[in-house]
Amino acid sequence: MTDSASSGQPKLTAHVKAAGCAAKISAGELGEILRELPSLKSPALLTGMDHFEDAAVYRISEDVAIIQTTDFFPPVVDDPYTFGRIAAVNALSDVYAMGGRPVLALNILCFPTCDYPLEIVRAILKGGADAIAESGAVLAGGHSIQAPEPIYGLSVTGLVHPSAILTNGGAKAGDALVLSKSIGTGVGLLGMKGEQLSATAQQSLLKNLTTLNDQILAAGLQYELHAATDITGFGLIGHLHEMAEASGLLASINAAGVPLLPAVRQLAAEGFVPAGAYANRQTYQPFVNYIDAVDDSLMDLLFDPQTAGGLLFSLPAKDATLLTRDLKALGVAAATIGAFRTGKSGQVEVSLYDKA
Amino acid sequence: MEERIDLRGLTCPEPVLRTKRLLDDQSILKVEALVDDQVCVNNLSRLSRSLKATVTALPKEGYFQVVIERGQSDAQLSRSSEKHGQPAAKPAESSLADSSQKTAEVIFLAKDTFGDGDAEFSKTLLSLFLQSVLETGHQPRAILMANTGVRLMAADSPALKVLQDFKANGCEVLACGLCVEFYGLKDVIAKDQITNMFAIVEYLFAAEKVISP
Repeated sequence: MTDSASSGQPKLTAHVKAAGCAAKISAGELGEILRELPSLKSPALLTGMDHFEDAAVYRISEDVAIIQTTDFFPPVVDDPYTFGRIAAVNALSDVYAMGGRPVLALNILCFPTCDYPLEIVRAILKGGADAIAESGAVLAGGHSIQAPEPIYGLSVTGLVHPSAILTNGGAKAGDALVLSKSIGTGVGLLGMKGEQLSATAQQSLLKNLTTLNDQILAAGLQYELHAATDITGFGLIGHLHEMAEASGLLASINAAGVPLLPAVRQLAAEGFVPAGAYANRQTYQPFVNYIDAVDDSLMDLLFDPQTAGGLLFSLPAKDATLLTRDLKALGVAAATIGAFRTGKSGQVEVSLYDKA
Repeated sequence: MEERIDLRGLTCPEPVLRTKRLLDDQSILKVEALVDDQVCVNNLSRLSRSLKATVTALPKEGYFQVVIERGQSDAQLSRSSEKHGQPAAKPAESSLADSSQKTAEVIFLAKDTFGDGDAEFSKTLLSLFLQSVLETGHQPRAILMANTGVRLMAADSPALKVLQDFKANGCEVLACGLCVEFYGLKDVIAKDQITNMFAIVEYLFAAEKVISP
């Protein structure tokens, strides 16, 4: 991490109110904002704003559809290179969530060049560029402006065969839900900002935040995937709800089986809970049915807005254990966390068995 | 020792962090903190709970005053939180948390009678049983009906009223969908009260106690 206290410049996260995907406008507010916006249709637009899809998909020929997405946010960590990488990993993720591969990326940058030395912004862009290179996409420019608060992210174009698009709406009754990467980045980042994380806990958090979803998607594509999404600002339950509703099914999960980052349970219990988690809870609580009493700290994590989260797959139950095994072999946290069944559309049922 | 601290204008996690640092000093028994919003109140409430301290939040004009106290016995603890409990300042989700922590009892009715005596009499007994459960204040998490049990939800069932009362109290009143179809009650029972065997199994296995008269 960059020690900036001695150099006089503010820490990168110093004035950031809400970090990462916790900075997202809440689903409830977004719904209000978008309500009056005309929803334009085109036969070539394969997925749009309905069901809070991860990205727009536009068919340009029988064999090719483009995936277009953008994502950006203020610094989540003080180290500029790491921030750049996390922002890029997060933006690229939307393409993977739709089953595609990123081909082209443009930088989006807001930066107060008077407050920080230029090497800081250079490091942010380097972190992003390295992640883009790793994804196989090409960085082809971007746009930057002066702004009081640093913001970085990407606009990404991806490609996918129109028949291979993964949406959050294709899940079938009886499917199992496999989650990759651990939950708890919102709480973890607050803990990190408050210097409450041990070195190993911080390492796990940063690994979760900087891991591209490319290999995770590749592992999933070895099986018959019915639906997929990436877990970001709406939290695990929010994205589960969106997937369940788009698929017209009920999602049932075992909260005890959800992989959590180290230390986040304790941090949540001590009140290191981002505003976004409370907002998500308020928005999605009406769709949640608790079979067991889930305590506040675990519930906070189920609603915790995730930055650069993993992919959530819906696939035939018989393949769930195999996929979980493959993901773990990649060094990624993974678990079968539940299943879809017929029932009230969009409902999320939360149980608590001791072990998954 | 008492501490007062103004945490207004600070961004998350500073308010909870600074309060935690204060309370790390065991000699400090009471902290009065001023915070900007409900999120900070929620976070300080969690911190207090993790330290087994009581917390009171009073809404002021444009901010909240949060008082955290520790070092009381458990009895005092529950009394003081009751006394100071300000509905407006309770964590926004407290009522929701409560609703998920009801007693873990489930009533499972696989027939529309209480025992196997005279048919009409046995039906009356079952209504009486449900009525008594309600009146004695027991709050089962769910009432699940299967087989002829689903007839309790029919329009002419003497138990319908008491089942509705349970539902109004927040108890899940659910009928097995297959059974509803088999007994031709599909059009009389509300869709959101129809469930499947999968859910019934989950309710039964999650229950601390299953009551099946």
